[in-house]
Amino acid sequence: MDFPSSLRPTLFMAGPLGLSNVPDLSFMCSWRDALMLPESPPDNSENGAPHMATQLLWEPETPGPLPLLPPGPDPWDPGVTAQDLLFRGGFTFRRKPRAVLDVTEQLSRFLWDHGDIAFAPLGKLMLENFKLEGARSRSKKKTVVSVKSLLQDLGGHQPWGCPWAFLSYRQRRFSILGGPVLGKSVASLLGELLHEELAVRWEQLLLDDAFTGGALAWVPGRTPQVGQLVYPAGGALDKLCFQEVSLTSSGDAQALRDPGHIQLRGPVRQVVTRTVQGESESFGHLPPCLPPLLTCSLTLIFSVPQPCWLSALTTTAPCGSPHLPGELAVCSRSGAVCLWTPQDGLQQVYKDPETLVFCDHSSWRWADFTAHPRVLTVGDRTGVKIIDTQGPPGCGLLLFRGGAEASCQKGERVLLTQYLGTCSPEPLLPTLHLICTQFSLYLVDERLPLVPMLKWNHELPSAPLWAQLLPPPRPGCPRPLLLGAQRGHLRLLHLTGEGASAPRLAGHPQSLPSSSDSLSAFPLLEPKSQWRLQERLKAPTIGLAAIIPFPASEPVLSLFQLSAAGDIFHQRLRLQTDPGATLHAPTASWTPQATACCSRWLKALLKVPPPPPVWAAPTFSHRRLLGCMEQRTGERKGPEGLRAAMAGGRLLQQRDLGPLPSAEPPPAPEPGPEDELSARLEAAWEGQMAAWWERQQGRSSGPSRLPKRHKRRTQLSSTFSSLSGRLGLSDATSPPHSPDRASPEAKLQPPVTPPSHESTQELWAQGVPSERQQTLRDYMAKLPLGGDSPRGVCSSLSQSPSLQATPSSSQTLQERTAELPPRRTTLRGAAVSSSQTSSLRATPSRQRAPVPSGSQPQRKKPRMGF
Amino acid sequence: MSDFSEELIGSKTEDEQEESYVFSGTGMSFPWLQNHIGTIATGGKKEKDFAQTTSACLSFIQEALLKHQWQQAAEYMHSYLQILEDSDSHKRQAAPEIIWKLGSEILFYHPKSNMETFNTFADRMKNIGVMNYLKISLQHALYLVHHGMLEDANRNLSHAETWRYGEKSSSQEVLINLIQAYKGLLQYYTWSKKKLELSTLDEDDYAYNAASQSMLNHSCKTSVNLGALIQTPGVWDPFVKSYVEMLEFYGDRDGAREVLTNYAYDEKFPSNPNAHVYLYNFLKREKAPREKLISVLKILYQIVPSHKLMLEFHRLLGKSEKEDHRKLGLEVLFGVLDFAGCTKNITAWKYLAKYLRQILMGNHLAWVQEEWNSRKNWWPDFHFSSFWAKSDWKEDKALACEKALVAGILLGKGCRYFRFISKQDDEVLRKKIKRIKKSVENHSIVNPGL
Repeated sequence: MDFPSSLRPTLFMAGPLGLSNVPDLSFMCSWRDALMLPESPPDNSENGAPHMATQLLWEPETPGPLPLLPPGPDPWDPGVTAQDLLFRGGFTFRRKPRAVLDVTEQLSRFLWDHGDIAFAPLGKLMLENFKLEGARSRSKKKTVVSVKSLLQDLGGHQPWGCPWAFLSYRQRRFSILGGPVLGKSVASLLGELLHEELAVRWEQLLLDDAFTGGALAWVPGRTPQVGQLVYPAGGALDKLCFQEVSLTSSGDAQALRDPGHIQLRGPVRQVVTRTVQGESESFGHLPPCLPPLLTCSLTLIFSVPQPCWLSALTTTAPCGSPHLPGELAVCSRSGAVCLWTPQDGLQQVYKDPETLVFCDHSSWRWADFTAHPRVLTVGDRTGVKIIDTQGPPGCGLLLFRGGAEASCQKGERVLLTQYLGTCSPEPLLPTLHLICTQFSLYLVDERLPLVPMLKWNHELPSAPLWAQLLPPPRPGCPRPLLLGAQRGHLRLLHLTGEGASAPRLAGHPQSLPSSSDSLSAFPLLEPKSQWRLQERLKAPTIGLAAIIPFPASEPVLSLFQLSAAGDIFHQRLRLQTDPGATLHAPTASWTPQATACCSRWLKALLKVPPPPPVWAAPTFSHRRLLGCMEQRTGERKGPEGLRAAMAGGRLLQQRDLGPLPSAEPPPAPEPGPEDELSARLEAAWEGQMAAWWERQQGRSSGPSRLPKRHKRRTQLSSTFSSLSGRLGLSDATSPPHSPDRASPEAKLQPPVTPPSHESTQELWAQGVPSERQQTLRDYMAKLPLGGDSPRGVCSSLSQSPSLQATPSSSQTLQERTAELPPRRTTLRGAAVSSSQTSSLRATPSRQRAPVPSGSQPQRKKPRMGF
Repeated sequence: MSDFSEELIGSKTEDEQEESYVFSGTGMSFPWLQNHIGTIATGGKKEKDFAQTTSACLSFIQEALLKHQWQQAAEYMHSYLQILEDSDSHKRQAAPEIIWKLGSEILFYHPKSNMETFNTFADRMKNIGVMNYLKISLQHALYLVHHGMLEDANRNLSHAETWRYGEKSSSQEVLINLIQAYKGLLQYYTWSKKKLELSTLDEDDYAYNAASQSMLNHSCKTSVNLGALIQTPGVWDPFVKSYVEMLEFYGDRDGAREVLTNYAYDEKFPSNPNAHVYLYNFLKREKAPREKLISVLKILYQIVPSHKLMLEFHRLLGKSEKEDHRKLGLEVLFGVLDFAGCTKNITAWKYLAKYLRQILMGNHLAWVQEEWNSRKNWWPDFHFSSFWAKSDWKEDKALACEKALVAGILLGKGCRYFRFISKQDDEVLRKKIKRIKKSVENHSIVNPGL
């Protein structure tokens, strides 16, 4: 094994995470990584622009992956989302947003929905103070309250959430006296537990490490075109399936026959395959979640194609040895690392309940092999250590340290550690280890610990939990490294440099489509089904497998993704050969076969029964408790009266329904401070529109010292405008090619509130050629001062009567649309629709859409140098 | 000057800025947390639309880059420059670095971009704000070096070298050292070119004197430039290499040795195998005594037992008269072959086969057994399985023979590997296989009596 004869210059600084007074010399992005220092003085003539030659691009055949198998029969529920957990109301934007767990609402929901559970113990305690049945007895004891009268006072109404509900004195007294007791105990006991639970759920939502490593594996068959996918299926992921798949050189992947399967008693979290000395092995892993039958987890070892149980281990996170058949490294959450060999069984080789570098609460541990078959790595959130299983216990050497050595950021933690020398019978990079954190990807050579050979900021929007190093698509080509994140995001990197040169990135990394990109291949559905489909496509990924079935001739990358809903998606990517054609990267389109496949799959999906509702209507237990009370007559009065009125064919009257609970009328909505519309209308009616306009202008035009920056920007932009074929702002902000992708801006737009003024301004400015903006601006500056402006304003208003609809109704409408599955709109579409709704409240000067063609819209003076 | 004063304030609050990702109770930060929070923000004060559009634009650029759509990325970049006018001073200050990072990336890959465009961009970016001048200068120089523009790069670095801003912070100092070191490296390139020229000239020539004089000048400057950085802990292989070469050329052996010893043995430096390799090569050139060489390689052996110099180490140890050195020689060979990347190293197998016989003839069975004990439960499967027997025989018959001999010695005649190879009927190797069989008969440690 050659060690790189000259390593890239790196600063080495020991210290904690986020040490800030040291320059991060690994500020390298991909191109700078390509800048190897020449070993010898470079020759001016040769080194023209060699970088283009190494450009590699895998071009997807379809815009998104296609489902490989029909959906399973079990319904799938996406589970809790951020909306369920976080505090929603009164959220203010800040630079450092904070997630606030909404314990209050959850608690009140709980008390409301499950009052039985929450209050029954208390009720039992207070049983002697309540009198449940019978007439109003004149008990001498002042400590006994008649429940009946309390309930009578309630009259069947639950005053929850309604501040104007009627309260009798009795109720009032009861709530004042009972409140502290009820409130305190419930809040302190339940609240604490609930908060804990919510925090756990929230953390899980942010990072679910259960499937680290992935639960999908490809077991190569006798020919490179046929193999088996091993994955868990079923609603509880407790059915381990072996699906034979054939890959044709031209067409798609085909599932050959019904998968063989093994029914297990718990979910499978990891499936690992290794091909050692020509034989493939797979390991499945079940975590400890099967009370009461099993309290420990199992690792199942089986060989494909004849699955058989070889052994059951009581540990977590298995890793197969790339060197020796049948060997496994496993580690438990308590920090013990064991080596399992067929001869000796399980041997504990290392144990350390503490984290490696600094204290971290996470019990995640991961073990893997190294280039030496008897040396293992053990990783936790803070670092990775190399341990010699034959050496004295407890000793080891840190391979990676979450700290200044690798220029780690504050809060950076290891999410994935993987030995890269495993992907083929011939080890490719036999000493390299991949370490992923939520920010960066590191390649560390075990011969040079602590100093990463390569660092790349992956900027993935979810946790990277899978990685796979593939063999070179062609001899001499760089090796693709696939990195997959929890929410389906994929990155493909190319690693080059073996032997005597340090590993580096070849070309810029590439992103691959995820299953949510396939939405456009499906026919449009009614909202509920569309929502379901979308949720299904957006389901988190739990496994990833990639193969290059036909190396040499025409490299094709087959990619399989397993989603948490149990679907397997397949995609093929072709290596683009002509590097000159990358000016406009080609965009794939859907083929008829692909859409037909999607339609078939969708049909099957819609046949799957929807998941049972999580929430059930509350039960009013007191009715059960008290049996038949005269209250029921009161309750029945409504329907009975209705029935009688219908039978008699007469009008239903108030007296048929019994007396209304006396309640104040709900207060009228108070005019908010921003009710500009009414203020403006008032001003207009009084003929003081111009004064109002002045006021408004004064309020909204900020101090501007920005024009002097203008020059700098135009200077800079000339760099790029010379490159971009088309000039002008309007072209530059054209929407992305793929129309199906919900643009980040559309996501950014919170559904309910209308955007504030700048948005419309931006849109306005973009629509107008820059040379005409000054003219427009001058025109607008004059407009409101021109004497008879009120008439002009009124006319523009009256031309769009629908705009005067009350904000509340429009808002509910929008809320409703927001509830619907996210629209398939482009950036522009989304922005326009939101600007239209926002203009319902906007001042006429900021209205954009409904301006009559002849007149220019009035605008305040733009600030941003347009 | 407003920029400057802002950045002065900004540099103090940099820590704060880094915390833009939110920490949950665990101390871990999640860059994607903002997305989750974004989905629930309903009421209250929102992010301004300017911020929304710029961040959307940023994500478009990143997306286009990840799809290799350079043209589109350039177009978005054109719009993104408006962030330099953001009213939020934090964002405005962070902007130049982002723009530089993305912009240079686009310009590096864009098929229509050329060096002039890149230079213009880099020159302008350097002067936006003051915090990035050094970093951008350095990267710009690297770009130029990569494209063979050594003189331009040198000029760039010279400009950057003299640049100072505010109080000299430690990070600035390191960067300036680094810039000087790169400058030194460029000077080294010129120097070695001159050296090459010099070697073609006649010593009596007038030109020879001039050339050697200018070489000397270069070397003086270079040593000043390189000397400072290599005191700082880090991996400085190219700098150390060139520095030592120059020192050696001018006969400053003690200086060179000091540099290399410091680079290899200073505890503040990472354990860089190359540092030991450079020291070893230097000592070898210097014709240092064997003891000295062995002591250097002993340390390398502890760091990287799989290094290719280990075979040389083995040879050195084999020549030594000391018992423990010869024992270590065996250990080193076993150590090399422990590693997955070295299993097909025929030289190592050859050495092992030869050395095993030698050791066993020298009646040191205990040494072999000591090494073998820790390996006997995994070497048979790791090296001597029937799979490897077949594949080695197919790929490299010489390797298979050497391995068969070792397998026979260590595992006896009955082992799978040995049996497979000895059964092969190959005309060319028939004699060799016979010899192997005989050696195994004589030396196998399984049945020492036979």
